[in-house]
Amino acid sequence: MNSTRTPPGLSSRVDWTFIAAVVGLVATGTVAMLSAASTTLFYQSILQKHFIALALGSSLFVLTLAFNYQIFQDQAKILYGVAIALMAAVLVLGRSARGHRAWLRLAGFSFQPAELARVLVVLVLADYLDRRARRAGDFSTVLTALAIATPIVLLILKQPDFSTALTFLPTITGMLFCAGADIFQLLFVFGYGALALAVPLVITLCQVRYPGAPSGTLPGFILAASRLGWATLTTVVAFAAVSAAVWRAATWMRLQIKPLAFVAAPVILSGALLTGIVVNRSMKSYQRNRFVAFVAPRSDTQGAAYNVIQSKVAIGSGGLWGQGLFSGTQSQLGFLPERHTDFIFANVGEEMGFWGAGLILGLYFLLLWRVVTAARLARDRYGYLVCAGLASMFAFVVTLNVGMCVGLMPVAGIPLPLISYGGSSLIINLFSLGIVANVYARRYALL
Amino acid sequence: MKIDSRERLNVLWWAIAGAGVVLGLRLAQLQILDVAFYREAAERNRSQIIYQSAPRGRFYDRHGDVIAENQGAFTLIFLPGKNQARRELEPLARELARQLGRDPDEILETLEQSEREQSAARLAENLPQVTAFQLWELKTIYPGIALIEEARRYYPHGRFASHLIGYMGRMNPREWRDRKAKGYRADSRIGKLGLEALFEDELRGRDGGRRMEVDAQGRIKRELESIPWEAGSNVHLTIDSSIQRAADDGLRASVTGRGAAVAIDPRNGDILAMSSQPDFDPNALLAADPGEAQRSVAALPEFNNAIAGAYPPGSTFKPIVGLAAFAAGVSPLESFFCPGYFDLGGHTFHCWDRKGHGRVDWFKGLAQSCDVYFYNLGLKTGAAEIERYEKLFGLGARTNVALRGEKSGHLFGPETRRKAGRGWYDGDTLNLSIGQGELTVTPLQLAVVAAALANRGTVWRPHFTRKIVYADGRPDFVQSPEKLSEIPATDAAWDLVQRGLEIVVSSGTGMSARIPGLVVAGKTGTAQNSGVDHAWFIAYAGRPGEPASIAVAVLVANGGHGGVTAAPVARKMILARFGMADPEVEREARLAARAAARAAARAAKAAVPVPALPAGAVR
Repeated sequence: MNSTRTPPGLSSRVDWTFIAAVVGLVATGTVAMLSAASTTLFYQSILQKHFIALALGSSLFVLTLAFNYQIFQDQAKILYGVAIALMAAVLVLGRSARGHRAWLRLAGFSFQPAELARVLVVLVLADYLDRRARRAGDFSTVLTALAIATPIVLLILKQPDFSTALTFLPTITGMLFCAGADIFQLLFVFGYGALALAVPLVITLCQVRYPGAPSGTLPGFILAASRLGWATLTTVVAFAAVSAAVWRAATWMRLQIKPLAFVAAPVILSGALLTGIVVNRSMKSYQRNRFVAFVAPRSDTQGAAYNVIQSKVAIGSGGLWGQGLFSGTQSQLGFLPERHTDFIFANVGEEMGFWGAGLILGLYFLLLWRVVTAARLARDRYGYLVCAGLASMFAFVVTLNVGMCVGLMPVAGIPLPLISYGGSSLIINLFSLGIVANVYARRYALL
Repeated sequence: MKIDSRERLNVLWWAIAGAGVVLGLRLAQLQILDVAFYREAAERNRSQIIYQSAPRGRFYDRHGDVIAENQGAFTLIFLPGKNQARRELEPLARELARQLGRDPDEILETLEQSEREQSAARLAENLPQVTAFQLWELKTIYPGIALIEEARRYYPHGRFASHLIGYMGRMNPREWRDRKAKGYRADSRIGKLGLEALFEDELRGRDGGRRMEVDAQGRIKRELESIPWEAGSNVHLTIDSSIQRAADDGLRASVTGRGAAVAIDPRNGDILAMSSQPDFDPNALLAADPGEAQRSVAALPEFNNAIAGAYPPGSTFKPIVGLAAFAAGVSPLESFFCPGYFDLGGHTFHCWDRKGHGRVDWFKGLAQSCDVYFYNLGLKTGAAEIERYEKLFGLGARTNVALRGEKSGHLFGPETRRKAGRGWYDGDTLNLSIGQGELTVTPLQLAVVAAALANRGTVWRPHFTRKIVYADGRPDFVQSPEKLSEIPATDAAWDLVQRGLEIVVSSGTGMSARIPGLVVAGKTGTAQNSGVDHAWFIAYAGRPGEPASIAVAVLVANGGHGGVTAAPVARKMILARFGMADPEVEREARLAARAAARAAARAAKAAVPVPALPAGAVR
């Protein structure tokens, strides 16, 4: 019937559903951006940059699709070197904006390399985990994988960009999990990270709610522990003692639990506690405010909590059908902060309503489903790991951003992939999705 | 523990799907379940209502002359922005303090409160045009500053019937609590005294407003809705501005400048004028400068002498003693000898004129206000009969003129004494006969007495409302005269009293109130008190052959003799009633005009030699 069949090969193998999801997200994002940025001072220049980035990103997507993704595995060392070089270059040559030294000027464009570094880390780790396939269950694999990512994360923390650094943890955890790492080991690692993050939250909560708690009470003890004194030491010793006691009890009950767990548990608990306390002490004031805004949204309506409240108001007032493009009062009158960047989802919620916001969530759902499918169908373990890593990364970033907009997550300064305005972010996201498309298109070992 | 990679991928997928479901449910909660709450929050964010006070109902005098009206004035308001820091408000407060001449800390406090409550604040009211234009420039520098035009109360006559009209002021916390439900706002002004307070509900219209769309910085973007105001109802008074002005000016020019004057139409009880001095300028209380307004409030003489000041009536009480005597059968022709004193059982009671008046009958006694004559008359009549007439004339009871703070004064007589558990002596009768002792009256009561003397016995309830023209189309309220009582006295008795009062003015103690072409009757009075005596004068007047159309009572506090200080004020009021020019004032004006003309001529002569300047040098 159809005489002009595309040449056998690529076209029939490309995942068009996936591409439709990407196009849909980019299109929705462009529309939202057009509306949200319309009241900003540099509307013309924002439009220009966006469409140039869109063109560059699309080209990169097609280009990435064109050659075999396995080249990334072959050149893993170079990629790793590039990632470290980029992050080091940012710290040396980078431009500061809003307290971060996170931008590189490149031929008239500002370029934020941290996101590229994140994708590169996924590619490098996929190579490492592919080569360690036989020893995937070893704890050394987990530790090495973390060690590979650590220099880059540290460099990003040095900017300092806490939010972007934070996105590495779930990405790496997802990859290790899909690579077949031991669940307990992962739990330890993940628990360590989660605990290290929870400690400052709890300390902030106590500081806000019980500022002058007496020393006999639990909040008073927590506040004392946060000052790295005797209370801290007592806690660490208590962890060890309880662990030893449980070990004896387990032995007595003849439970088959590895002795290592009873050593690892107190070490990880204490380590996480100490890390958390150190993180808590080295937080910048705006970061502290975000924590405060999350644990006690009513306490501070000026700072970070203001953003969340206005975001929720914007989304809620959108209702089922939205206020209409260019007519959301929260966005257009400037009540919604960062409305074309980090909080663009709130703008969508206000102007396009539940259907618009739901459409974006649906498109992400579709996209991630196709990424997971690409992982499942990948012809090799490397492709499988790359797709799993990218799926984890996208899922976490989207959840964090949308969760922040609807008030379920603390404020984190990360953009919504493919929707938020931001040239380098768009290009890099399209590049990374190009890799996924590539993995899918080459799912048969023949090509 | 070995898990298939396919299974692990499934676990990852379910984690992603779970996160998606949570986010979707949260979206549904915000956008579908709680949509009304957030819609309202967004609406609150973007809109600010700026209230505009409605024009208050006007006061007119009996001839349609405007006594209180409204003028356009500017109000400076501040619309708080979202997320505004204190350091952004500080320069604004400093700038405003400079422009308005006020304390920056106080302004900053207002700004911060407005910012906290996220509602518009009024920074300054009743700004004159010039200041308003200067402030207009601030709008371009500081977002959130806006000027709106409002109706502001204005009293074109300034110091004029101040105590009767009253003034506008801020509510105190109790007044605010009572009025909260009635649509008042915390910064509303209400009538605080006199008729402004009495007719608050009628005068007050319904405030309008403008719902403005504002952006996050508090800049006004556009008007969403304009809520029109409804003007208040107009009140037409029985006051005659020319009489009122004569009373105000006359009292102010009197010896002490303190006192009260009331004029009533004896035919119906209309209050034609009510003045109390010292008075105040109600416009000063609405000054744009809060310092000035505050000083004015602090110095406000709120005491209305005309209704709240009770003094012994002195000799102005004598016509009532006469009426009582005639009713008791005393003959007006009976005469008594006045040697200048009266001896009562070894106690000497003096006549005001120690030289004595010789043989005195009713007409001479009243005209010369001979105390000895009235001592005798009083003793013959009996104190009980005089007390009955006090009551008939409405003394000792409030007229219920519907002004706050009215006093009833004190009755004086054997019955009152008995009720108080004390006895009555002849000495008291003597004191009562000349209007001294415990008897006290207010100027308003005495004006009612003068009106009853003029109309031969009708005691009216005094009133100052002619009609209220309701703004909402209700039929007008029209005040009808209300009779309090009728004095039972024969025509012969009235003739004697009225004739006597006319002689007082034509050739007696009240001669300074004489007006050619009018029949003026009156009585002077001197109320003894601890300091200098208060001067009284009551009078009524009409054209010959016509019933009297004005009755007055004038009190000059510590003014000495009524005929000297109080009567001229009454005279001015009567002249104003009949639209007559005061010949004295006219003569003075003529002299002043002549002197001015002479001075101008001298100046013109002196100006001639000045050399002409070249055209370019001018200016």
